[in-house]
Amino acid sequence: MSKPTVGLFGLTGCAGDQLVILNCEDQLLDLVSALDIRDFLMASSANDVSCELDLALVEGAVLSKRDEEKLKRIRARSKALMAIGTCAVWGGVAALNPEADRAKLLEEIYGHQGAQYDSLPPRSLREVVKVDLNLTGCPIEKEQFLSAVSSLLNGDPPIFPEYAVCAECRMRENNCLLIEKSQVCCGPLTVAGCDARCPGLGIPCVGCRGPVDEANVSSVLAMFGEKGIPRERIAAKLRTFAPTSGDHS
Amino acid sequence: MSTRIQVEHLARVEGHGGITVELDDGAVAAVRFDIFEGARLLEGLVRGRSYEDISQILSRICSICSVAHSLTSLKATENALGVKVTPQTELLRDLLYRGESIQSHALHLFCLAVPDYLDYPSVTALAADHLDAVKLGLRMKKLGNSIQETLGGRAVHPVNAIVGGFGKLPSVDSLVALREALIQGVADCETTIKLLASLPAADFCHTDTVFAALSSPQNHGYYAGDEIIVSSNGQRQSVPAAAYRSLSNEKAVPGSHAKHSSFNGKPFMVGSLARLSTNTQGLTERARAAMGELGLRLPSDNPMDNNKAQGVELVHDVHSGLAMVDRLLRDGIKEEGCVAVCPKAGTGTGVTEAPRGLLVHSYTYDDEGRITAADVITPTAFNAASIENHFRSTIEQSASKDAPALRKKLEMVARAYDPCISCSVHLLQRHHAA
Repeated sequence: MSKPTVGLFGLTGCAGDQLVILNCEDQLLDLVSALDIRDFLMASSANDVSCELDLALVEGAVLSKRDEEKLKRIRARSKALMAIGTCAVWGGVAALNPEADRAKLLEEIYGHQGAQYDSLPPRSLREVVKVDLNLTGCPIEKEQFLSAVSSLLNGDPPIFPEYAVCAECRMRENNCLLIEKSQVCCGPLTVAGCDARCPGLGIPCVGCRGPVDEANVSSVLAMFGEKGIPRERIAAKLRTFAPTSGDHS
Repeated sequence: MSTRIQVEHLARVEGHGGITVELDDGAVAAVRFDIFEGARLLEGLVRGRSYEDISQILSRICSICSVAHSLTSLKATENALGVKVTPQTELLRDLLYRGESIQSHALHLFCLAVPDYLDYPSVTALAADHLDAVKLGLRMKKLGNSIQETLGGRAVHPVNAIVGGFGKLPSVDSLVALREALIQGVADCETTIKLLASLPAADFCHTDTVFAALSSPQNHGYYAGDEIIVSSNGQRQSVPAAAYRSLSNEKAVPGSHAKHSSFNGKPFMVGSLARLSTNTQGLTERARAAMGELGLRLPSDNPMDNNKAQGVELVHDVHSGLAMVDRLLRDGIKEEGCVAVCPKAGTGTGVTEAPRGLLVHSYTYDDEGRITAADVITPTAFNAASIENHFRSTIEQSASKDAPALRKKLEMVARAYDPCISCSVHLLQRHHAA
């Protein structure tokens, strides 16, 4: 069987998800021999920019016309498209305040030239094109990425967790930062997959993986209320990485 | 006759950029280092957020230097809020920073730059003929990542360093494991020096260069210090961290869309070569010897020497990292909590040395600890004017104006700076020439 053709791409973001892939030091040589990587600008200067791809991995959010056109071109040449990282899946930090006056901020940060910049309000990939798979995380977790790729190579759909960080946190038998210490922990509303990394270090979850589907948002918000944590503080924290987080209350 | 030399998409760098050069009868009419990243406006979007949230949000400016952004952010916040961290926290942050530098330099040298010297398009193509070299690079990179995971809790976007200290201190077992990895790293440094010393010379751009770096007289570190040194032809000038704006007095320059950083009207270079040029003391003995083995003579007038300087720092970071872990194991980790924070109004600036050079975060907080202004100046933004300066010299000093050969040289100069374009967009964005 011929190897699947793959492309790795970045739109606007920090390149952290591509970096996680390059950080798979123990698996990298096997990975590049199992896949036929045709287009990976961050790692190669010999890229085929027009061939058909079995799988495109795209990180970053759409923040400019240039991003939008690039994403549409990638979609047109790819059989399957996987969004990698919270920016691609949810919009990420660039979308942390959707109400912000972007024209004004452009001028404040970049001066009078700001108005000429190619700048669009941030969008996740699925707001622009059809996305087949979403692998979230800021950045993505190495193990989830590798397991998703090996599932796809075996012709199986990858399985991603559908429960909250809280479940993983309890499995690790951590003390609850919200109940016991009244800290603003986004664990109950954030999708698992990080093995509750931050609460495991005694640090409240910042919600960097985006929302979990099955959360009981109103009861969690009520619990924050009982702890005397102002609603706007929770809302701001929840929406740092995913602008629609906590909207189901 | 006017001709244009263009690199549409600069490969093997972080982020999205390109190079445009216009020649008029062989003379350089314009040079541009083009930047195509979308504007994320993070400095504006964080306004109103609590001091506790800032380092997590602003580390996302860049992944490869996320430790640098995170720790510089903490330094700025702690300066603004009058928080003084303990010597143990300073030492652990210093070690964490060295982990990032090892990871970043190894990634750049082995995966992005070395393929240039040996004429391969990528590290995977390189692996087909030089598997041992690639495995060596991956081991070095993994060592840096292990330090970041042990102290920062994660290799990309660390979570464990917080305002006032650390969430959880490293266990003795984890430090012993790091020590083992660092001992292997010391052996790997020897092979790395031999490999780098065997690369063909890259000798096509010479020009007097001004350098700027954080002063670190004691141990050639990246984190501690509040004094910036600018050096030019042996003259040294000191700029206090809080006066960083005197280094980023942006000017519009004809032939470029960029606003350029300059000092006394001259562009300056930041990064490994700048650090070695301004901090002549403090290197470990092995790193000092490596300078001779790599043929690095200072002050250098060749920007390609930045690659050699990264090699020297790689050796220094592994050796000094091992000494720091030994010290932590000898003295023991004190189970001290984070320093308590009382929110108050104030302004603070943090300056550190990211792997690619000088990095500034400067913040103002209100009396409830909410941020009201944030200013971030990244190494690649400082370097943009100097990169264009070296593009110009490269073309002027090339006898042949053959486009493919010039393009390769320009790409090599750009890559030698190890540009981080996600970062640089915070000061400038240039449009793709129509």
